[in-house]
Amino acid sequence: MTVAQIVFILLSVVGLGAALLVVTTRNLFHAALYLIASFFAVSGFYILLEAGFFAAAQFLVYIGAISILFIFATMLTRTVRGMVPRNSQWQAALFVSVILFVAMLLIFSPANFSLPFGQGRTFGGAEWQFAEVPNKPGVLRDVPASSINDFGRALVDLNQYGIALLLSGLLLLIGMVGAIWVARERKPREILAERARMAAEEAEERAKAAAKAPEVSVAHAAVAHDAHHH
Amino acid sequence: MLNGIPLYWYLIVAAAMFCIGLYGALARTNAIAVLMGVELMLNAVNINLLAFWRYLTPESPAGLAFAAFVFIVAAAEAAVGLALIISVYRNMNSIDPEKLDLMKL
Repeated sequence: MTVAQIVFILLSVVGLGAALLVVTTRNLFHAALYLIASFFAVSGFYILLEAGFFAAAQFLVYIGAISILFIFATMLTRTVRGMVPRNSQWQAALFVSVILFVAMLLIFSPANFSLPFGQGRTFGGAEWQFAEVPNKPGVLRDVPASSINDFGRALVDLNQYGIALLLSGLLLLIGMVGAIWVARERKPREILAERARMAAEEAEERAKAAAKAPEVSVAHAAVAHDAHHH
Repeated sequence: MLNGIPLYWYLIVAAAMFCIGLYGALARTNAIAVLMGVELMLNAVNINLLAFWRYLTPESPAGLAFAAFVFIVAAAEAAVGLALIISVYRNMNSIDPEKLDLMKL
């Protein structure tokens, strides 16, 4: 057993154990902390996969930003303690998850996904495209030294991922503006003023209907009230 | 094999993490915990993307680019989702997904 294998097993135990605690603990704040532990393990996997940029991005984006967002949301909603850990459909959820996991275990078995790949391996009736990757199939190739340069150029190249990068910048901008708009604080005075305005409009409508046709006013007012209510 | 680790080890760990996240997203009684399950699922997908990139096409930036876009979408999703949850909490004093049935017929 190599050092890398031992590190991999330790990371899996930490990552999956923390993930299990995230979905079972009663205390939401503890769940957020276990989620951070799980993110750390995933970042370790990226280092083992020689994707250093993504290990750093995992630190900055997930551990630095997203987990802090989760902790803030937990504190702002005062739901830290006394959460019921499961809802009424948890048995069905567990069943679906276990079945899906078993199915993926069967597909990801060593027979299908251990290097070296056979040339033109078939699975489920279809020939897998990645059996025909360039160079010699079945031999693990090194990451080229220019990998991160190629990645950066591909992201800004309009013939590759340039448009997608621009659109994702737009997505982040819309997400940020939308998040601020949705979660904006409205002063109680504004809310009260809005309620008063709505009540006045309703009363005015009712008075107008009553003046227009006394005999249908009751039905009309009921309809108006109903429509407003909905 | 990379440092003695075969590809399917990564796939199985990612599958387990995805299924744990799926259980969390389906069976929790708190919208924030549901979002945590979704984050676990996105992380599992990213492990798979980078593992396939490393083992099958390390010369191509495609796997890295897809992983980067998953990061971007996950960040936007977390920000908007948590803002929605805070807004819902202000208006209804609860973030249990089972109690949020205003849009039910």
